[in-house]
Amino acid sequence: MRLEIESIEIKDVQAGAKTYTKDGVLFINLEELRELILKDSRIKSVDINIVYPGEKIRILNVQDVVQPRCKIGKDDADFPGFINKMQIAGSGRTRSLLGTAVVVSNPSTNRVESGLLDMSGPMAELSPYGKMKNVSIAPYAAEGVGERDFENAVKNAGFLTAVYMARGAEGLPASEVEVFESDLTECAKSDLPRVALYYQTYSPQFDYLAVSDKIVYGNNISFNMPIIVHPNEVLDGGFVGWNALKGIDSYCIQNHGVVKELYKHHGKDLNFVGVVAATANMDADSRERGACMSAHLIKNVLGADAAILQKILGGMPHVDISSTGIECEKLGIKTCVYTTPLTSAGTLGDTILFNDERLDLITISGNQFEKTKIHFQAEKFLGGTAETQLYGQGIKQYAGDSVIDIEQYLLAGVHDLTGNRNIIVNEY
Amino acid sequence: MTKKKVVHYLNQFFGQIGGEEQAGVGFSVKEGPVGPGMALQKALGDDAEIVATIICGDDYFSASPEENAAAGLELVKQYQPDLFFAGPAFAAGRYSVACGAMCKAVNDELGIPVISGMDESAPGMDMYRKSVYIVKTANQSRDMVKVLQKMARLAAALTDQESGTKLIALENMPDPKEYDYFTREQLRNEFCDKTIAQRSVDALLKKIKGEPFESEVTPDRFEKFEIPAAVKDLSKAEIAFVSDGGLVPKGNPDRMTTRSNLRWGAYNLDEIFANYEVVHAGYFNDYVVDSPDRLVPYDVLRDLVNEGVVGKIHDTFYSMPACTTVAKKCAENGAAIAAQLKARGTVDGVILTST
Repeated sequence: MRLEIESIEIKDVQAGAKTYTKDGVLFINLEELRELILKDSRIKSVDINIVYPGEKIRILNVQDVVQPRCKIGKDDADFPGFINKMQIAGSGRTRSLLGTAVVVSNPSTNRVESGLLDMSGPMAELSPYGKMKNVSIAPYAAEGVGERDFENAVKNAGFLTAVYMARGAEGLPASEVEVFESDLTECAKSDLPRVALYYQTYSPQFDYLAVSDKIVYGNNISFNMPIIVHPNEVLDGGFVGWNALKGIDSYCIQNHGVVKELYKHHGKDLNFVGVVAATANMDADSRERGACMSAHLIKNVLGADAAILQKILGGMPHVDISSTGIECEKLGIKTCVYTTPLTSAGTLGDTILFNDERLDLITISGNQFEKTKIHFQAEKFLGGTAETQLYGQGIKQYAGDSVIDIEQYLLAGVHDLTGNRNIIVNEY
Repeated sequence: MTKKKVVHYLNQFFGQIGGEEQAGVGFSVKEGPVGPGMALQKALGDDAEIVATIICGDDYFSASPEENAAAGLELVKQYQPDLFFAGPAFAAGRYSVACGAMCKAVNDELGIPVISGMDESAPGMDMYRKSVYIVKTANQSRDMVKVLQKMARLAAALTDQESGTKLIALENMPDPKEYDYFTREQLRNEFCDKTIAQRSVDALLKKIKGEPFESEVTPDRFEKFEIPAAVKDLSKAEIAFVSDGGLVPKGNPDRMTTRSNLRWGAYNLDEIFANYEVVHAGYFNDYVVDSPDRLVPYDVLRDLVNEGVVGKIHDTFYSMPACTTVAKKCAENGAAIAAQLKARGTVDGVILTST
């Protein structure tokens, strides 16, 4: 399977009478985009704004962030299962825009927490999205649409906008073309060690209103049984972000850190043989089933010698990742277990919720539950108002407060659980 | 710029009152720097001035450290200092505890940076490292000037609003390696050179090749316990409930927290079942809110008592909501709960439920 991602630098984004690019500037016909989004009858109206770094803007109720992308030479292949008919993602050519993102807000939500992005101030410094020229969309729910159903409409509106923008960049030269190609038959001819990725995609503990988020080909993935996918499917719209910010979003997954890093080494000092996609589990039986199955797929189906096990947010996923790691090591698979600390007190050792000497290589991403005090007075709010509640734990905080002290998983782009951030946790 | 006001604490020896024969002497205050304070003043430079030195005998202080720290704090307060130093105490037993206790009392009350210096083996280090910035020293006092320079440098970093930019929390917290102090059991995200994706692949490749690799974390290895013998006669046994699932009396009187809670409580079982709430961020509370029996199976145990299978249900329920609470604290609280259960004298067995 071969995927080419052609990246185009976007210097500026502006509203225009039609959608096209000239000299690196992307002009967007906002009315045409609005009509496209409003084709979904679940959406009553939508606010669309272009936002720039340095503006005193706070974007609220951020549900997702998406990199503008479209398939080249195929009209019906973007984000399959979400905004197009089902087909396997990950082959052919994809146009990808750099320097801009779609920031997707859901102002109709009843959730007690709000993901946010500031376009200036300290948070904009901490997040790559704060340094981009972004399109903020905030759809409002039509009457009678269920909350979870509407979140799916908002999610799709983000993808439609991303595709619309990327199509508009047609004709601009690519600044970089990345080729992602891995083939099991080719790998079989090589003597290099075979490495797989165990990709924890979701945890049902975050099911809002007892419904799982749809994150794989338009489906939810709370089926507890792991599946094997090609790494390109992850990068090319088969897998997307959750319905709320928890240290991961579609932009992260479109640039999945470990997938891209393993590809960098592919054919040089290892063979990247595939991805086992799984979820965390809510009970011990499911956990054991998932762990045994994942290890089995990694060893006996992908034929891997080693695996990176990558975790998403939460305490329970710690237990899942360790169970899976232990099952892998039992089968002779060498593991690197990638964890997320959950507390700012104690020692590094205290943060690990498992204890098994076989898991002797543990790496740590940032702690998304750490708080950051942000001194920033926004003058304009998108996707919400100055009265929007940011945070339900402890002292209530609102978007208009001049100082907020907030857990980092709600700060869009500060963390990236797919592994793209230069962050580590240290003892102080 | 006004000079920062500094108060320095010393024992009777370094405070130039006398040796061990003077260890019983109480508090005294001298204006300006004394003994090692001279070198400290030099290291601090023109930004700060040691306005007073508080001196106390090691025996006198260690007789009741908490009361004496409170008394010492009263002496410190009158100078309204911006910085407080104690020692360095090197490996000294009584002196290190006095330095730690003084620093903690001053920081708790005045909220100003407090700095000491100790050797790893000093008892005051382990007792006070969480509350006090303690620079690392040798076990003897020969490098006094160097240590004082380190303490002054750390103080400058703590009062510099520009430092700490490596931290995502945007806090001003000096790097423990750069400033050579004992970590304070705090964890912080910081920016680093490589992404976790790069670090993970690099380390895994080393592991595959059989080369030495470094784990970024080594978990504490827990003690392995023998499984205790079964209760001999359940029909005569009194059984208690203990749970970490977050069941607390309505209104949460002991102010437990939904994450990283550090407290525990003992509550009358019938009263809590009549009036309760759930404090735990790690699972969906709905089923337990509907019926606390799904967390603490009082209904089933009551049936078993009525059937004569179980003797009696202990009337007190022990609760410690534990979601992402560090294991050490859980063990401490567990030991305290067990001690209280034992002290009751009637409990033969415990049902522990978790989520």
